[in-house]
Amino acid sequence: MNDLIIEGLVKNFGKVRAIDNVSLTVKNGTLTTLLGPSGCGKTTTLNSIAGLDPIDEGIIRVGDFVLNDSKRGIALQPEQRELGMVFQSYALWPHMKVYDNLAFGLKLKKVSDTETKKRIKETLDLVGLGELGDRYPFQLSGGQQQRVALARAVVTQPRLLLLDEPLSNLDAKVREHARIWLREVQKRVGITTIYVTHDQAEALAMSDMIAVMSNGKLLQYASPADVYERPVNRFVADFIGATAFLEGTITAINGDQAKVLLKGGQTITAQTSTRWRDEKEVAIAIRSERVQVVTDSSKTDNVIAARIISSTYLGSKWQHIVETDAGSLKVESLDAASDSLLKLYLPPSAIILIPNS
Amino acid sequence: MARLEARTDAPHIQWHFSWDRLVQWSIVVLTTLLVIFPAWPLFVQAFMDKPLYDATKQLTFNNIARTFTSTELLGVVGTTAIYGVLTTVLAVALGTMLALLITRTDMPGKGLVSSFVLIPFFVSPLVLAYSWDTIFGRQGYLTVVVRSFGLPTWDLLTLGGLIVVTAMFYAPNAYLQCTASLALSDPQLEDAARIAGANPFLALWRVTVPLLRPAITFSALFIFVSSIEMLAIPLVLGSPVNIQILPSYLYKIGAVGSPPDYGQLAVVSILLVIFIAFLVAIQNRLVRQERRFVTIGGKATRPRLLRLGLWRIPAFAIVALYMLIGIIFPLIGLVAKSFVVFLNPFINPLTVFTLEHYDFLLTAQSYSNSIVNSMVISTLGAAIGIIFMAMIAVIVYRSTFPGRQALAYAAMFPRAFPGIIVGIGFLWAFLLIPGIANARNTIWAIMAAFIMRYLPLGFIAISPSIMRVSNELDRAARVAGASWFQMIRSILAPILFPALMSGYVLLFITFLKEYASALFLYAPGSEVIGTSLISLGRNGDSGPMAALATIQTAITFVIILLSRRFLGVKLYE
Repeated sequence: MNDLIIEGLVKNFGKVRAIDNVSLTVKNGTLTTLLGPSGCGKTTTLNSIAGLDPIDEGIIRVGDFVLNDSKRGIALQPEQRELGMVFQSYALWPHMKVYDNLAFGLKLKKVSDTETKKRIKETLDLVGLGELGDRYPFQLSGGQQQRVALARAVVTQPRLLLLDEPLSNLDAKVREHARIWLREVQKRVGITTIYVTHDQAEALAMSDMIAVMSNGKLLQYASPADVYERPVNRFVADFIGATAFLEGTITAINGDQAKVLLKGGQTITAQTSTRWRDEKEVAIAIRSERVQVVTDSSKTDNVIAARIISSTYLGSKWQHIVETDAGSLKVESLDAASDSLLKLYLPPSAIILIPNS
Repeated sequence: MARLEARTDAPHIQWHFSWDRLVQWSIVVLTTLLVIFPAWPLFVQAFMDKPLYDATKQLTFNNIARTFTSTELLGVVGTTAIYGVLTTVLAVALGTMLALLITRTDMPGKGLVSSFVLIPFFVSPLVLAYSWDTIFGRQGYLTVVVRSFGLPTWDLLTLGGLIVVTAMFYAPNAYLQCTASLALSDPQLEDAARIAGANPFLALWRVTVPLLRPAITFSALFIFVSSIEMLAIPLVLGSPVNIQILPSYLYKIGAVGSPPDYGQLAVVSILLVIFIAFLVAIQNRLVRQERRFVTIGGKATRPRLLRLGLWRIPAFAIVALYMLIGIIFPLIGLVAKSFVVFLNPFINPLTVFTLEHYDFLLTAQSYSNSIVNSMVISTLGAAIGIIFMAMIAVIVYRSTFPGRQALAYAAMFPRAFPGIIVGIGFLWAFLLIPGIANARNTIWAIMAAFIMRYLPLGFIAISPSIMRVSNELDRAARVAGASWFQMIRSILAPILFPALMSGYVLLFITFLKEYASALFLYAPGSEVIGTSLISLGRNGDSGPMAALATIQTAITFVIILLSRRFLGVKLYE
């Protein structure tokens, strides 16, 4: 088995703890995203796996192949780890042609000439650049450079593929294509992959598992759906796309239904899989895209009154910033609002309860 | 509060005199005159059988014929070629190695080394040549010590000696080019090589060093051009044993020989200028081709330093030895020599301590004059020069002036002129134009020659700072109602002030060191430090010569330290 296993990873920069006791396991052939804001430790974690940043404590291994073990004093040099990596800048060697960029690692691994030629051809075909081996990197577009970088990373048949924000230098439109394409290539090669990004949409779309990090700590490690639907705390919810937080107290629990008393006196019902205690202070994360503006009086449960502060036309919809007794939030509607006073229906599924710590 | 309101009344336009075009035209005309002034007499003299000022001169092609059949000249050209190539190879190797050791390894003492490595940059090549002669010359301090042990010694006054000293002088250029290139290169490129399986040395050798190629080629061309223009070191160390390279040969046939052979001097000068212009053109092409080596910047990460391990101490020892032998020891020797009657390893210097050399300098009219003149030319000339050069750069990069590209070429034109040819050209121009002949020996003529010679230096120094200022700032000023010249005065000038100060200090120390373009212009009353150093050296007054060299070097370092301390000026980064 070629699972990547990280146990108790610690890394300090001076007095700052850049990685704080991170443990995670990446199943063979899957793609795990390290997600978080800049400075959260995700790139440092990636560099630790690559051996580019020495670690202070912990174990990193791929199956039985140990890369780091601080207790046994094992710390392989980057060149001994047999990994593939795509850098944010692509780091294509500008003085070498595309072919030579790919051949460099193979030569160092003493792969025969015929095998080298065959593998480079296959890999360039895989990334759809079969014809461009003779070009220099500067003769390629940004998207092509990114493909070459990926080709170079996988041509040596590495144990792991490490991707450091590989799409961040691409235009928004190219980026979306590249995202789908990259995921397809990864699945076809079937290589265990660690992907670093700060873009939550990218993470949700591409990953088998997402590891959300903040301040060097691993906050949540779960599937995209789990991270999205059941964030473990306010930070994760915020980072993964919740747009507003209200405050309240749980007054009653009935199976998976919780009654929550909002600030301002109104009680709403929320769906929850967590076992809460009564009288528990909670934060209520609201996903604005699921809130409905109601015009008739057919619904009365979970409906709260709101007043529009400002409206913005976004083409396919309108976005309003509204104020309620419990706090302000963003909501969307298909039509322009005719009145500044609104009624909002908060479906139980649009409400995520998070412990208020 | 005043209400914001759009104006709706019609603008009233009235014709008014435009200062903008007047300023632009004045600068363009001045630049053109200044660069053509010393150039055209060369072409006249090349076809005249007698000196330009001789009324009986006649048209001839004999000069050209003589030049191409002279076996002596052929020998000089051969020596110059060997000298230029070997100097370049040695200087580039030294500079690149120093740059790699200092920026990319964990060699100890890097801070100390990096502050010493640039010293030759600020010292006149004349001073460097004299200091080497003091220590390593035939009667040099170390030579005598080694000889006293009965060991074999070296001979500095050989082509090899010239090459070593000149390479030491130009190594900082290669060092700076490589350091700048290393600072810009993306550390992820080396990381990528490590991931691909290369060990640290291999990653450095296969990725970082090849990426230095543009910097290395660029500085190699620069050093080659500069070394075949070099007069001081061949004059001091080569001429006494009749090893001539082109500039010292030109000096010999133009100033020392009697009668001077002006015809051949002009022809050789023109050929040399054309050859250098060709090399400079190649250099400019290279700069444009560097695009290939530009990569998309990644995160700002610090490159990992190469661990030298056991080699740390030997590496430092070799570099320290180079510094000591190449720079520190010779300079200390020269300073010591200025304070003693006689510098000899077997005489305790304290017993022969004297201030007589300084006393001599200050009492001999012509030498004390030269210090005052040099200070006036440096202080005033650098100020006039940097403003003039900044105006040229502003017109080239920040105006709609129709001929601005041609102006850039005009400003770069003097790059092809060795200092000694600038001096000859100015001399002849003054003699050819009726009514201004008497001005040729004034310090103002020398100042003009210095400004002309270093137009490209100032232009190149100031241009990047101008290009870094977003042109939206000018546009905003223009839209707000400023004229072009008002925009320069109130927007660009204040923003560029630090760059102008750096440029001023750079020109100041350059003018203080300059000697070659003054050699044909100075006369009693208009000596400068450089010309005095040469005449003192030629007369064998080595004590006062060392004292004057010490004064020149001391002024330079004081200016650099003060400007760094109080103006925040950084000359080379």
